[in-house]
Amino acid sequence: MRRFGFLFAAGEVPLARDASARFLPWLIAFMVYLAALALLAAVAMDAMAARWQGDLQGRLTVQVPAPGDPTNAQARQARLDRTVEALLQTPAVIEVEVLARGQTASLLEPWLGEAARAPELPVPDLIAVTLRRADAGLGDLAQRLEAAVPGATLDDHQRWLARLFALAGSIELLAFLVVALVGAAAIATVIFVTRTGLAIHRQVIELLHVMGARDLYVAEQFQGHALRLGLAGGLLGAAAATLTVLGVAWLLRGEQSLLLPSIRLGWLAWALLIALPPVTGLVAMLTARWTVLRTLARLP
Amino acid sequence: MIRLEEVSLRYGEGPQVLRRVGCHLEPGSFHYLLGASGAGKSSLLKLLYLAQRPSDGRVSLFGRDVARLTRRDRALMRRRIGVVFQDFRLIAHLSAFENVALPLRIAGEPEHRVRSQVSELLSWVGLKEAMEALPPTLSGGQQQRVAIARAVIGRPSLLLADEPTGNVDDRIATRLLYLFRELNRTGTTILLATHNEALAARMPQPRLRLVEGKLKEEPADTPPAEPAAPIPTEATGAGAR
Repeated sequence: MRRFGFLFAAGEVPLARDASARFLPWLIAFMVYLAALALLAAVAMDAMAARWQGDLQGRLTVQVPAPGDPTNAQARQARLDRTVEALLQTPAVIEVEVLARGQTASLLEPWLGEAARAPELPVPDLIAVTLRRADAGLGDLAQRLEAAVPGATLDDHQRWLARLFALAGSIELLAFLVVALVGAAAIATVIFVTRTGLAIHRQVIELLHVMGARDLYVAEQFQGHALRLGLAGGLLGAAAATLTVLGVAWLLRGEQSLLLPSIRLGWLAWALLIALPPVTGLVAMLTARWTVLRTLARLP
Repeated sequence: MIRLEEVSLRYGEGPQVLRRVGCHLEPGSFHYLLGASGAGKSSLLKLLYLAQRPSDGRVSLFGRDVARLTRRDRALMRRRIGVVFQDFRLIAHLSAFENVALPLRIAGEPEHRVRSQVSELLSWVGLKEAMEALPPTLSGGQQQRVAIARAVIGRPSLLLADEPTGNVDDRIATRLLYLFRELNRTGTTILLATHNEALAARMPQPRLRLVEGKLKEEPADTPPAEPAAPIPTEATGAGAR
Protein backbone atom coordinates (compact mmCIF):
# COMPACT_ATOMS: atom_id res chain seq x y z
CA MET A 1 0.00 0.00 0.00
CA ARG A 2 2.91 2.30 0.82
CA ARG A 3 4.04 1.92 -2.77
CA PHE A 4 0.94 3.78 -3.91
CA GLY A 5 1.03 6.35 -1.14
CA PHE A 6 1.95 9.04 -3.68
CA LEU A 7 -1.59 8.86 -5.04
CA PHE A 8 -2.95 10.41 -1.87
CA ALA A 9 -0.04 12.09 -0.07
CA ALA A 10 0.60 15.78 -0.68
CA GLY A 11 4.40 15.56 -0.25
CA GLU A 12 6.91 18.27 0.46
CA VAL A 13 6.59 20.06 -2.88
CA PRO A 14 3.53 22.33 -2.43
CA LEU A 15 2.02 21.65 -5.85
CA ALA A 16 -1.57 21.95 -4.62
CA ARG A 17 -1.01 25.67 -4.03
CA ASP A 18 0.12 26.36 -7.61
CA ALA A 19 -2.12 28.19 -10.05
CA SER A 20 -1.91 25.09 -12.25
CA ALA A 21 -3.90 23.16 -9.66
CA ARG A 22 -6.81 25.50 -10.32
CA PHE A 23 -6.80 25.80 -14.12
CA LEU A 24 -5.46 22.41 -15.22
CA PRO A 25 -8.59 20.38 -14.32
CA TRP A 26 -10.78 22.78 -16.31
CA LEU A 27 -8.40 22.71 -19.25
CA ILE A 28 -8.30 18.92 -19.20
CA ALA A 29 -12.08 18.80 -18.75
CA PHE A 30 -12.53 20.87 -21.91
CA MET A 31 -10.18 18.61 -23.87
CA VAL A 32 -11.80 15.45 -22.56
CA TYR A 33 -15.20 16.90 -23.47
CA LEU A 34 -14.08 17.41 -27.09
CA ALA A 35 -12.42 14.01 -27.24
CA ALA A 36 -15.50 12.32 -25.77
CA LEU A 37 -17.82 13.93 -28.31
CA ALA A 38 -15.49 12.96 -31.15
CA LEU A 39 -15.28 9.38 -29.88
CA LEU A 40 -19.05 9.17 -29.46
CA ALA A 41 -19.48 10.46 -33.02
CA ALA A 42 -17.12 7.76 -34.26
CA VAL A 43 -19.01 5.09 -32.34
CA ALA A 44 -22.36 6.36 -33.68
CA MET A 45 -21.08 6.38 -37.27
CA ASP A 46 -19.76 2.85 -36.85
CA ALA A 47 -23.15 1.72 -35.50
CA MET A 48 -24.94 3.43 -38.37
CA ALA A 49 -22.71 1.79 -40.98
CA ALA A 50 -23.35 -1.58 -39.36
CA ARG A 51 -27.10 -0.89 -39.43
CA TRP A 52 -27.02 0.00 -43.14
CA GLN A 53 -25.12 -3.14 -43.92
CA GLY A 54 -27.45 -5.26 -41.79
CA ASP A 55 -30.55 -3.79 -43.40
CA LEU A 56 -29.35 -4.27 -46.96
CA GLN A 57 -27.52 -7.55 -46.63
CA GLY A 58 -29.16 -10.35 -48.64
CA ARG A 59 -31.44 -7.93 -50.46
CA LEU A 60 -31.57 -6.81 -54.07
CA THR A 61 -33.65 -4.31 -55.94
CA VAL A 62 -34.69 -4.92 -59.53
CA GLN A 63 -35.63 -1.90 -61.56
CA VAL A 64 -38.04 -2.54 -64.47
CA PRO A 65 -38.28 0.37 -66.90
CA ALA A 66 -41.76 1.67 -67.70
CA PRO A 67 -43.24 0.66 -71.08
CA GLY A 68 -43.25 3.18 -73.95
CA ASP A 69 -46.71 4.31 -72.85
CA PRO A 70 -46.49 4.66 -69.05
CA THR A 71 -50.26 4.70 -68.74
CA ASN A 72 -50.59 1.23 -70.32
CA ALA A 73 -51.22 -0.86 -67.21
CA GLN A 74 -51.39 -4.16 -69.13
CA ALA A 75 -47.99 -3.71 -70.73
CA ARG A 76 -46.55 -2.67 -67.37
CA GLN A 77 -47.99 -5.81 -65.65
CA ALA A 78 -46.72 -8.10 -68.43
CA ARG A 79 -43.19 -6.76 -68.01
CA LEU A 80 -43.41 -7.24 -64.27
CA ASP A 81 -44.68 -10.82 -64.64
CA ARG A 82 -41.78 -11.74 -66.92
CA THR A 83 -39.32 -10.26 -64.50
CA VAL A 84 -40.82 -12.00 -61.44
CA GLU A 85 -40.78 -15.30 -63.32
CA ALA A 86 -37.11 -14.88 -64.13
CA LEU A 87 -36.42 -14.10 -60.48
CA LEU A 88 -38.36 -17.06 -59.11
CA GLN A 89 -36.40 -19.40 -61.39
CA THR A 90 -33.29 -18.43 -59.48
CA PRO A 91 -32.56 -20.85 -56.56
CA ALA A 92 -30.99 -18.13 -54.37
CA VAL A 93 -34.18 -16.06 -54.36
CA ILE A 94 -36.68 -16.86 -51.61
CA GLU A 95 -39.00 -13.86 -51.75
CA VAL A 96 -40.07 -11.33 -54.34
CA GLU A 97 -42.15 -8.24 -53.60
CA VAL A 98 -43.35 -5.91 -56.30
CA LEU A 99 -43.69 -2.39 -54.97
CA ALA A 100 -47.09 -0.90 -55.80
CA ARG A 101 -47.14 2.19 -57.98
CA GLY A 102 -48.23 4.20 -54.93
CA GLN A 103 -45.17 3.04 -52.92
CA THR A 104 -42.80 4.02 -55.71
CA ALA A 105 -44.52 7.39 -55.98
CA SER A 106 -44.06 7.90 -52.22
CA LEU A 107 -40.30 7.42 -52.61
CA LEU A 108 -40.21 10.15 -55.25
CA GLU A 109 -42.60 12.52 -53.53
CA PRO A 110 -39.95 14.37 -51.52
CA TRP A 111 -38.37 15.51 -54.81
CA LEU A 112 -41.31 15.67 -57.26
CA GLY A 113 -44.21 16.44 -54.96
CA GLU A 114 -47.71 15.53 -56.18
CA ALA A 115 -46.38 15.12 -59.74
CA ALA A 116 -44.80 11.83 -58.67
CA ARG A 117 -48.26 10.25 -58.74
CA ALA A 118 -49.03 11.33 -62.32
CA PRO A 119 -49.72 8.12 -64.38
CA GLU A 120 -47.98 9.52 -67.48
CA LEU A 121 -44.69 9.85 -65.59
CA PRO A 122 -42.34 7.06 -66.84
CA VAL A 123 -41.42 5.87 -63.39
CA PRO A 124 -39.78 2.42 -63.38
CA ASP A 125 -41.31 -0.34 -61.29
CA LEU A 126 -39.31 -1.68 -58.36
CA ILE A 127 -39.09 -5.26 -57.13
CA ALA A 128 -37.59 -6.00 -53.71
CA VAL A 129 -35.85 -9.38 -53.70
CA THR A 130 -34.79 -11.34 -50.63
CA LEU A 131 -32.00 -13.88 -51.01
CA ARG A 132 -31.62 -17.18 -49.19
CA ARG A 133 -28.17 -16.09 -47.94
CA ALA A 134 -26.26 -12.82 -48.12
CA ASP A 135 -23.53 -14.39 -50.23
CA ALA A 136 -25.83 -16.51 -52.39
CA GLY A 137 -24.70 -16.81 -56.04
CA LEU A 138 -27.04 -15.28 -58.61
CA GLY A 139 -25.66 -17.05 -61.67
CA ASP A 140 -26.79 -15.45 -64.94
CA LEU A 141 -29.74 -13.60 -63.35
CA ALA A 142 -28.71 -10.23 -64.77
CA GLN A 143 -28.67 -11.64 -68.35
CA ARG A 144 -32.01 -13.41 -67.87
CA LEU A 145 -33.62 -10.21 -66.58
CA GLU A 146 -32.27 -8.30 -69.54
CA ALA A 147 -33.69 -10.98 -71.85
CA ALA A 148 -37.08 -10.85 -70.09
CA VAL A 149 -37.37 -7.05 -70.11
CA PRO A 150 -34.73 -5.06 -71.98
CA GLY A 151 -33.33 -2.38 -69.71
CA ALA A 152 -34.21 -4.19 -66.46
CA THR A 153 -31.35 -3.72 -63.98
CA LEU A 154 -30.24 -5.48 -60.86
CA ASP A 155 -28.98 -3.36 -57.96
CA ASP A 156 -27.22 -5.16 -55.09
CA HIS A 157 -26.72 -1.77 -53.29
CA GLN A 158 -22.96 -2.28 -53.10
CA ARG A 159 -22.12 0.93 -54.91
CA TRP A 160 -24.39 2.95 -52.65
CA LEU A 161 -23.13 1.16 -49.54
CA ALA A 162 -19.51 1.70 -50.57
CA ARG A 163 -20.11 5.44 -50.74
CA LEU A 164 -21.84 5.50 -47.38
CA PHE A 165 -19.09 3.41 -45.82
CA ALA A 166 -16.49 5.77 -47.23
CA LEU A 167 -18.38 8.69 -45.68
CA ALA A 168 -18.68 6.90 -42.35
CA GLY A 169 -15.01 5.94 -42.49
CA SER A 170 -14.00 9.55 -43.17
CA ILE A 171 -16.03 10.79 -40.22
CA GLU A 172 -14.53 8.11 -37.97
CA LEU A 173 -11.03 9.00 -39.15
CA LEU A 174 -11.72 12.65 -38.48
CA ALA A 175 -12.98 11.78 -35.00
CA PHE A 176 -9.85 9.81 -34.19
CA LEU A 177 -7.74 12.67 -35.55
CA VAL A 178 -9.55 15.03 -33.18
CA VAL A 179 -8.93 12.62 -30.28
CA ALA A 180 -5.25 12.37 -31.21
CA LEU A 181 -4.87 16.16 -31.45
CA VAL A 182 -6.73 16.74 -28.20
CA GLY A 183 -4.63 14.04 -26.53
CA ALA A 184 -1.42 15.62 -27.81
CA ALA A 185 -2.56 19.05 -26.59
CA ALA A 186 -3.39 17.59 -23.17
CA ILE A 187 0.02 15.92 -22.94
CA ALA A 188 1.76 19.16 -23.98
CA THR A 189 -0.22 21.04 -21.32
CA VAL A 190 0.77 18.58 -18.60
CA ILE A 191 4.42 18.80 -19.68
CA PHE A 192 4.26 22.60 -19.57
CA VAL A 193 2.55 22.63 -16.16
CA THR A 194 5.02 20.09 -14.77
CA ARG A 195 8.00 22.07 -16.01
CA THR A 196 6.53 25.22 -14.52
CA GLY A 197 6.09 23.38 -11.23
CA LEU A 198 9.69 22.21 -11.36
CA ALA A 199 10.85 25.78 -11.94
CA ILE A 200 8.64 27.27 -9.21
CA HIS A 201 9.72 24.68 -6.63
CA ARG A 202 13.30 24.43 -7.77
CA GLN A 203 14.71 25.27 -4.33
CA VAL A 204 12.68 22.63 -2.52
CA ILE A 205 13.53 20.04 -5.16
CA GLU A 206 17.25 20.83 -5.00
CA LEU A 207 17.07 20.58 -1.22
CA LEU A 208 15.43 17.16 -1.42
CA HIS A 209 18.07 16.15 -3.95
CA VAL A 210 20.90 17.24 -1.63
CA MET A 211 19.31 15.28 1.23
CA GLY A 212 19.55 12.14 -0.85
CA ALA A 213 16.08 11.96 -2.35
CA ARG A 214 16.08 9.79 -5.45
CA ASP A 215 14.54 11.24 -8.60
CA LEU A 216 11.57 8.94 -8.18
CA TYR A 217 10.83 10.42 -4.74
CA VAL A 218 10.27 13.83 -6.36
CA ALA A 219 8.62 12.38 -9.47
CA GLU A 220 6.05 10.56 -7.34
CA GLN A 221 4.89 13.87 -5.85
CA PHE A 222 4.38 15.36 -9.31
CA GLN A 223 2.77 12.26 -10.77
CA GLY A 224 0.35 11.92 -7.86
CA HIS A 225 -0.62 15.57 -8.29
CA ALA A 226 -1.05 15.15 -12.08
CA LEU A 227 -3.11 11.99 -11.58
CA ARG A 228 -5.51 13.75 -9.22
CA LEU A 229 -5.89 16.75 -11.55
CA GLY A 230 -6.25 14.55 -14.65
CA LEU A 231 -8.85 12.41 -12.95
CA ALA A 232 -10.83 15.46 -11.85
CA GLY A 233 -10.65 17.00 -15.34
CA GLY A 234 -11.55 13.69 -16.95
CA LEU A 235 -14.60 13.25 -14.74
CA LEU A 236 -15.79 16.79 -15.47
CA GLY A 237 -15.28 16.42 -19.22
CA ALA A 238 -16.89 12.99 -19.45
CA ALA A 239 -19.87 14.14 -17.38
CA ALA A 240 -20.33 17.19 -19.61
CA ALA A 241 -20.13 15.03 -22.76
CA THR A 242 -22.70 12.59 -21.34
CA LEU A 243 -25.09 15.42 -20.54
CA THR A 244 -24.58 16.89 -24.03
CA VAL A 245 -25.39 13.62 -25.80
CA LEU A 246 -28.37 12.93 -23.56
CA GLY A 247 -29.56 16.49 -24.19
CA VAL A 248 -29.28 16.14 -27.98
CA ALA A 249 -31.04 12.76 -27.83
CA TRP A 250 -33.86 14.36 -25.85
CA LEU A 251 -34.18 17.21 -28.35
CA LEU A 252 -34.30 14.77 -31.29
CA ARG A 253 -36.64 12.30 -29.59
CA GLY A 254 -39.15 10.82 -32.03
CA GLU A 255 -37.08 11.83 -35.08
CA GLN A 256 -36.26 8.78 -37.19
CA SER A 257 -33.95 8.87 -40.18
CA LEU A 258 -32.06 6.15 -41.97
CA LEU A 259 -29.28 8.59 -42.79
CA LEU A 260 -28.81 9.96 -39.27
CA PRO A 261 -26.82 7.99 -36.73
CA SER A 262 -28.82 7.01 -33.67
CA ILE A 263 -28.35 9.50 -30.82
CA ARG A 264 -28.29 7.15 -27.89
CA LEU A 265 -25.60 5.80 -25.61
CA GLY A 266 -24.91 2.14 -26.30
CA TRP A 267 -22.68 -0.07 -24.18
CA LEU A 268 -19.56 0.92 -26.15
CA ALA A 269 -20.30 4.62 -25.68
CA TRP A 270 -20.85 4.12 -21.94
CA ALA A 271 -17.65 2.10 -21.71
CA LEU A 272 -15.72 4.92 -23.41
CA LEU A 273 -17.25 7.55 -21.14
CA ILE A 274 -16.40 5.52 -18.04
CA ALA A 275 -12.87 4.76 -19.27
CA LEU A 276 -12.00 8.34 -20.24
CA PRO A 277 -11.38 9.78 -16.71
CA PRO A 278 -9.00 7.04 -15.52
CA VAL A 279 -7.22 7.00 -18.87
CA THR A 280 -6.84 10.79 -18.72
CA GLY A 281 -5.50 10.57 -15.16
CA LEU A 282 -3.10 7.82 -16.14
CA VAL A 283 -1.80 9.73 -19.18
CA ALA A 284 -1.34 12.88 -17.05
CA MET A 285 0.47 10.86 -14.38
CA LEU A 286 2.85 9.15 -16.80
CA THR A 287 3.52 12.41 -18.62
CA ALA A 288 4.38 14.21 -15.36
CA ARG A 289 6.58 11.34 -14.23
CA TRP A 290 8.46 11.25 -17.53
CA THR A 291 8.92 15.05 -17.53
CA VAL A 292 10.24 15.13 -13.96
CA LEU A 293 12.62 12.23 -14.42
CA ARG A 294 13.98 13.74 -17.62
CA THR A 295 14.48 17.13 -15.99
CA LEU A 296 16.03 15.79 -12.78
CA ALA A 297 18.44 13.64 -14.75
CA ARG A 298 20.26 16.89 -15.52
CA LEU A 299 21.01 17.45 -11.83
CA PRO A 300 24.43 16.16 -10.75
CA MET B 1 36.71 10.45 4.52
CA ILE B 2 37.30 13.35 2.11
CA ARG B 3 40.00 13.29 -0.53
CA LEU B 4 40.35 15.96 -3.17
CA GLU B 5 42.94 15.44 -5.90
CA GLU B 6 43.78 18.22 -8.34
CA VAL B 7 40.19 19.44 -8.23
CA SER B 8 39.26 22.44 -10.36
CA LEU B 9 35.89 24.07 -10.77
CA ARG B 10 34.58 26.54 -13.31
CA TYR B 11 30.95 27.52 -13.82
CA GLY B 12 30.27 27.45 -17.57
CA GLU B 13 32.66 29.77 -19.36
CA GLY B 14 33.32 31.84 -16.22
CA PRO B 15 36.61 32.15 -14.34
CA GLN B 16 38.06 29.22 -12.42
CA VAL B 17 36.65 29.18 -8.89
CA LEU B 18 38.88 26.36 -7.63
CA ARG B 19 42.33 25.66 -9.05
CA ARG B 20 43.85 22.20 -8.71
CA VAL B 21 42.76 21.89 -5.10
CA GLY B 22 43.93 18.93 -3.01
CA CYS B 23 43.39 17.79 0.57
CA HIS B 24 42.69 14.76 2.69
CA LEU B 25 40.47 14.85 5.79
CA GLU B 26 40.49 11.86 8.11
CA PRO B 27 37.25 10.34 9.45
CA GLY B 28 36.23 11.99 12.73
CA SER B 29 38.20 15.18 12.05
CA PHE B 30 36.97 18.75 12.52
CA HIS B 31 38.24 21.42 10.14
CA TYR B 32 37.42 25.01 9.46
CA LEU B 33 37.24 26.10 5.86
CA LEU B 34 38.35 29.71 5.84
CA GLY B 35 38.47 32.32 3.15
CA ALA B 36 37.12 35.70 2.25
CA SER B 37 33.64 36.04 0.78
CA GLY B 38 33.75 34.81 -2.82
CA ALA B 39 36.89 32.73 -2.24
CA GLY B 40 35.06 29.56 -3.29
CA LYS B 41 34.10 28.04 0.08
CA SER B 42 30.51 27.40 -0.89
CA SER B 43 31.61 25.97 -4.22
CA LEU B 44 33.96 23.57 -2.48
CA LEU B 45 31.16 22.49 -0.15
CA LYS B 46 28.85 21.98 -3.14
CA LEU B 47 31.38 19.56 -4.56
CA LEU B 48 31.38 17.71 -1.25
CA TYR B 49 27.63 17.43 -0.88
CA LEU B 50 27.46 16.35 -4.53
CA ALA B 51 25.47 19.31 -5.80
CA GLN B 52 28.19 20.12 -8.31
CA ARG B 53 30.60 18.13 -10.44
CA PRO B 54 34.24 19.26 -10.65
CA SER B 55 35.49 20.54 -13.99
CA ASP B 56 38.63 18.55 -13.41
CA GLY B 57 40.25 16.32 -10.80
CA ARG B 58 38.88 13.67 -8.49
CA VAL B 59 36.62 13.91 -5.45
CA SER B 60 36.51 10.85 -3.17
CA LEU B 61 34.13 10.50 -0.24
CA PHE B 62 33.96 7.57 2.16
CA GLY B 63 36.71 5.95 0.12
CA ARG B 64 34.81 6.07 -3.18
CA ASP B 65 35.43 8.17 -6.28
CA VAL B 66 32.13 10.05 -6.63
CA ALA B 67 32.49 10.33 -10.42
CA ARG B 68 32.20 6.54 -10.66
CA LEU B 69 29.04 6.27 -8.59
CA THR B 70 25.73 5.35 -10.13
CA ARG B 71 22.89 7.83 -9.74
CA ARG B 72 21.35 5.63 -7.07
CA ASP B 73 24.62 5.37 -5.14
CA ARG B 74 25.09 9.13 -5.28
CA ALA B 75 21.66 9.55 -3.66
CA LEU B 76 22.56 6.99 -0.98
CA MET B 77 25.88 8.76 -0.36
CA ARG B 78 24.10 12.10 0.07
CA ARG B 79 22.10 10.55 2.91
CA ARG B 80 25.38 10.11 4.82
CA ILE B 81 26.11 13.83 4.52
CA GLY B 82 24.41 16.49 6.62
CA VAL B 83 24.42 20.05 5.34
CA VAL B 84 23.73 23.27 7.25
CA PHE B 85 23.14 26.13 4.85
CA GLN B 86 23.89 29.75 5.61
CA ASP B 87 20.30 30.70 4.75
CA PHE B 88 18.94 27.57 6.50
CA ARG B 89 16.82 26.59 3.49
CA LEU B 90 13.91 25.48 5.60
CA ILE B 91 10.76 24.66 3.68
CA ALA B 92 8.41 27.48 4.63
CA HIS B 93 5.12 25.60 4.37
CA LEU B 94 6.30 22.66 6.46
CA SER B 95 6.39 22.75 10.26
CA ALA B 96 9.65 22.55 12.18
CA PHE B 97 8.83 18.89 12.82
CA GLU B 98 8.21 18.13 9.13
CA ASN B 99 11.41 19.93 8.12
CA VAL B 100 13.52 17.89 10.51
CA ALA B 101 11.72 14.69 9.53
CA LEU B 102 12.61 15.09 5.85
CA PRO B 103 15.93 13.19 5.76
CA LEU B 104 14.38 10.25 7.61
CA ARG B 105 11.37 10.12 5.33
CA ILE B 106 13.60 10.33 2.27
CA ALA B 107 15.60 7.41 3.69
CA GLY B 108 12.33 5.48 4.04
CA GLU B 109 12.38 5.19 7.85
CA PRO B 110 9.15 3.84 9.37
CA GLU B 111 6.83 6.61 10.54
CA HIS B 112 6.88 5.63 14.24
CA ARG B 113 10.67 5.96 14.28
CA VAL B 114 10.49 9.26 12.44
CA ARG B 115 8.09 10.59 15.08
CA SER B 116 10.12 9.47 18.07
CA GLN B 117 13.53 10.55 16.72
CA VAL B 118 12.39 13.97 15.51
CA SER B 119 10.52 14.71 18.74
CA GLU B 120 13.56 13.74 20.78
CA LEU B 121 15.96 15.84 18.75
CA LEU B 122 13.71 18.91 18.66
CA SER B 123 13.29 18.66 22.42
CA TRP B 124 17.06 18.44 22.76
CA VAL B 125 17.59 21.65 20.79
CA GLY B 126 14.93 23.38 22.86
CA LEU B 127 12.15 23.46 20.28
CA LYS B 128 9.71 21.06 21.89
CA GLU B 129 7.06 23.75 22.10
CA ALA B 130 7.68 24.95 18.53
CA MET B 131 7.46 21.61 16.74
CA GLU B 132 4.34 22.51 14.81
CA ALA B 133 5.41 26.09 14.11
CA LEU B 134 6.12 27.13 10.54
CA PRO B 135 9.68 28.43 9.94
CA PRO B 136 8.62 32.01 9.08
CA THR B 137 7.10 32.29 12.57
CA LEU B 138 10.35 31.24 14.28
CA SER B 139 13.20 33.54 15.33
CA GLY B 140 16.53 33.39 13.49
CA GLY B 141 18.10 31.35 16.27
CA GLN B 142 15.21 28.89 16.31
CA GLN B 143 15.34 28.50 12.54
CA GLN B 144 19.03 27.81 12.81
CA ARG B 145 18.44 25.07 15.36
CA VAL B 146 15.81 23.51 13.11
CA ALA B 147 18.31 23.60 10.23
CA ILE B 148 20.99 21.95 12.36
CA ALA B 149 18.55 19.36 13.69
CA ARG B 150 17.60 18.54 10.11
CA ALA B 151 21.26 18.18 9.16
CA VAL B 152 22.07 15.76 11.99
CA ILE B 153 18.79 13.78 12.35
CA GLY B 154 20.04 11.09 9.97
CA ARG B 155 23.26 10.67 12.03
CA PRO B 156 25.46 11.70 9.10
CA SER B 157 29.05 10.57 8.90
CA LEU B 158 30.00 13.93 7.43
CA LEU B 159 28.58 17.31 8.42
CA LEU B 160 29.16 20.29 6.15
CA ALA B 161 28.22 23.72 7.44
CA ASP B 162 28.26 26.79 5.22
CA GLU B 163 28.62 29.96 7.31
CA PRO B 164 26.34 28.54 10.00
CA THR B 165 27.07 31.47 12.29
CA GLY B 166 26.58 34.11 9.63
CA ASN B 167 23.14 35.22 10.78
CA VAL B 168 23.45 35.00 14.55
CA ASP B 169 25.07 37.02 17.32
CA ASP B 170 28.36 36.06 18.96
CA ARG B 171 26.77 34.31 21.92
CA ILE B 172 24.77 31.93 19.75
CA ALA B 173 27.71 31.53 17.36
CA THR B 174 29.93 30.33 20.21
CA ARG B 175 27.26 27.96 21.43
CA LEU B 176 26.96 26.55 17.94
CA LEU B 177 30.67 25.88 17.80
CA TYR B 178 30.44 23.83 20.96
CA LEU B 179 27.45 21.99 19.53
CA PHE B 180 29.49 21.08 16.45
CA ARG B 181 32.34 19.93 18.66
CA GLU B 182 29.94 17.71 20.60
CA LEU B 183 28.79 16.19 17.35
CA ASN B 184 32.39 15.72 16.30
CA ARG B 185 33.08 13.84 19.52
CA THR B 186 30.38 11.34 18.59
CA GLY B 187 32.43 10.53 15.49
CA THR B 188 30.94 12.89 12.90
CA THR B 189 33.49 14.44 10.54
CA ILE B 190 32.91 18.17 10.37
CA LEU B 191 33.90 20.80 7.87
CA LEU B 192 32.71 24.26 8.85
CA ALA B 193 33.05 27.05 6.31
CA THR B 194 33.31 30.58 7.64
CA HIS B 195 34.91 33.88 6.73
CA ASN B 196 34.99 34.84 10.42
CA GLU B 197 38.61 34.37 11.57
CA ALA B 198 37.81 35.53 15.10
CA LEU B 199 35.16 32.86 15.46
CA ALA B 200 37.56 30.14 14.35
CA ALA B 201 40.09 31.39 16.87
CA ARG B 202 37.62 30.80 19.72
CA MET B 203 37.79 27.07 19.29
CA PRO B 204 40.94 26.25 17.38
CA GLN B 205 40.80 23.34 14.94
CA PRO B 206 42.87 22.54 11.82
CA ARG B 207 42.09 24.94 9.01
CA LEU B 208 41.79 24.81 5.27
CA ARG B 209 42.23 28.24 3.76
CA LEU B 210 41.02 29.15 0.29
CA VAL B 211 42.88 31.98 -1.38
CA GLU B 212 42.29 32.79 -5.03
CA GLY B 213 40.98 29.32 -5.70
CA LYS B 214 43.94 27.56 -4.04
CA LEU B 215 43.62 25.50 -0.86
CA LYS B 216 46.18 25.67 1.94
CA GLU B 217 46.18 23.54 5.10
CA GLU B 218 47.00 25.19 8.44
CA PRO B 219 47.42 23.47 11.82
CA ALA B 220 45.15 24.14 14.77
CA ASP B 221 46.00 26.83 17.32
CA THR B 222 45.96 26.27 21.06
CA PRO B 223 42.54 24.91 22.10
CA PRO B 224 40.38 27.17 24.28
CA ALA B 225 39.09 26.24 27.71
CA GLU B 226 36.07 23.93 27.99
CA PRO B 227 32.75 25.68 28.73
CA ALA B 228 32.07 25.60 32.43
CA ALA B 229 28.37 24.86 32.08
CA PRO B 230 26.27 22.74 29.67
CA ILE B 231 25.39 24.47 26.45
CA PRO B 232 22.19 26.48 27.03
CA THR B 233 19.50 26.64 24.39
CA GLU B 234 17.76 29.85 23.46
CA ALA B 235 14.17 28.89 24.20
CA THR B 236 14.45 26.88 27.40
CA GLY B 237 17.94 27.33 28.71
CA ALA B 238 18.07 23.52 29.05
CA GLY B 239 21.36 21.70 28.81
CA ALA B 240 22.49 19.68 25.85
CA ARG B 241 22.19 15.91 25.97
